[in-house]
Amino acid sequence: MPKAPITPDSVIELLTSEHILEPQEPIAPDTDLFTLGLDSMAMMQLLLQIEERFRLSVSPAEMTRDRFATAGALASFLGEKRRLAA
Amino acid sequence: MPTFPATTVDFFLAGLESFMVRSGQGTHWAVTALWLAGKPDAAALNQAWEQVHARHPMLGARLRRKWRGWRLVWETDGPVSAPPISWHALSGEADETALIRERLRGLTFGQAIMTPLHLEVFADTTTGKHLVLLTWRHALMDGTGVNLLLEKLAAPSDASPPPVPEPPQESPALLYKRARPLMNRLHAMTRAGCLSAWAQGMPQAGGEPEFHLIQLSAEQSSRAVEKLRRLCGEFFQMPFYAAVATRALRRLHESHGWTSPEIHLHLPTQVRNRSRDLVFGNHMGTLPLFLQSNALDTLDAAVAHVQQCYKDALKQGLPQASEALMALACRMPVRWFIPMVRLQNRGQICSLFHSHTGAFLPGRTDFAGAALENVCTIPSVSSPPGLGLFFSDYAGKITVAAAWRSGGLHSEELRVLTASIFADLAG
Repeated sequence: MPKAPITPDSVIELLTSEHILEPQEPIAPDTDLFTLGLDSMAMMQLLLQIEERFRLSVSPAEMTRDRFATAGALASFLGEKRRLAA
Repeated sequence: MPTFPATTVDFFLAGLESFMVRSGQGTHWAVTALWLAGKPDAAALNQAWEQVHARHPMLGARLRRKWRGWRLVWETDGPVSAPPISWHALSGEADETALIRERLRGLTFGQAIMTPLHLEVFADTTTGKHLVLLTWRHALMDGTGVNLLLEKLAAPSDASPPPVPEPPQESPALLYKRARPLMNRLHAMTRAGCLSAWAQGMPQAGGEPEFHLIQLSAEQSSRAVEKLRRLCGEFFQMPFYAAVATRALRRLHESHGWTSPEIHLHLPTQVRNRSRDLVFGNHMGTLPLFLQSNALDTLDAAVAHVQQCYKDALKQGLPQASEALMALACRMPVRWFIPMVRLQNRGQICSLFHSHTGAFLPGRTDFAGAALENVCTIPSVSSPPGLGLFFSDYAGKITVAAAWRSGGLHSEELRVLTASIFADLAG
């Protein structure tokens, strides 16, 4: 199965389609995800979805505030992780 | 009479308190202690205290059943007036432990506390430091709620009135379907004969609330945070503290000569999408995890194991099942819910594990104008389980409150528990 592309939009789609975040307004690539309610349980759900959709395993120790602050930052981190794994 | 819909977690706490009262354990009180470097601004504290009471009629509410739809509601008589804040002077030898212990029993200087919130300020006449004790009814608020309340008490604000909570909407059939994974889990726990499961014939300690604070120094806390970051990153504090608590519990079991392949752990979790203005709406749920005893031999292994079990529970939809089960239980009379509370709380010493993790009052360095040195919450616990471990973090200082019922934990057992927690956090 081809790997799903990792872009800010695909991260936003994952966050909303899996009900990890349910914001009133659309999420932009630079929207602060923590202000939208990205708590620890949502983070764990996000980890599971990242494994399933992007075939990437992120350890909790790799999860820093900077990497998960916005959809754009998360897409960059995951993209780099995939590139290094290739 | 004005009413507010009760949330599902309100119902769990109401059931828990009802269980405690009916089994002679009294009201479910908790105390939050704040250590201040100087004197708080009395006028600002009074203003914030009065604002909270004026904006939250829940503080005068009673949990009632509506005949129409058999719904649980909080019934109020409108805004309540704030009880006076008491100020006391203490000598240098005052026993903070005795003060907190008395308040966990719902008393202040021998008098029963008659309001759901009771605020006292104790001035140390020799050092100028102040201790603030907020005594609160746990049926009305949980560990997250008290943090939100402290934010409101720390300084008066122009916040708008709290939102009205959403009552459960789904049909019982749908709720039952969604609750099924958790029900299967609870039945599996019974079949597994978990060590912490209370069994017929085991003694139950139902005495007065007791507690012990394990206060880590700044250096010890720094070592603990370093371990936490290495094992769990910046976000997952809960698996780290849960692993520490579970290993301490296992040590306690071993000191009794008990062995079991599994340990039953209730991991506290945040209910999703609940407004931060809903201070008295209760924000926590629990996620039952079954930990393999042999996966807890080292802290690193235990943290990884808790994380994996947490992931598995999410894959199985247990948080949603937990919320659905509570919503289903809302339709039962509270007394019917008590057997479920007993089941959830199974454990002679400790199966129900609560951890108020995360920093208290993040970003705030003062409370009512006085520098805040530390803060922690000490809840009374019911028996069963009879023992709770509560982790607090303020400004890089970790405090662990062990709470139990008198007769449920002896001094040697407390020593074993404390040593295990110290070794895991700061060793």
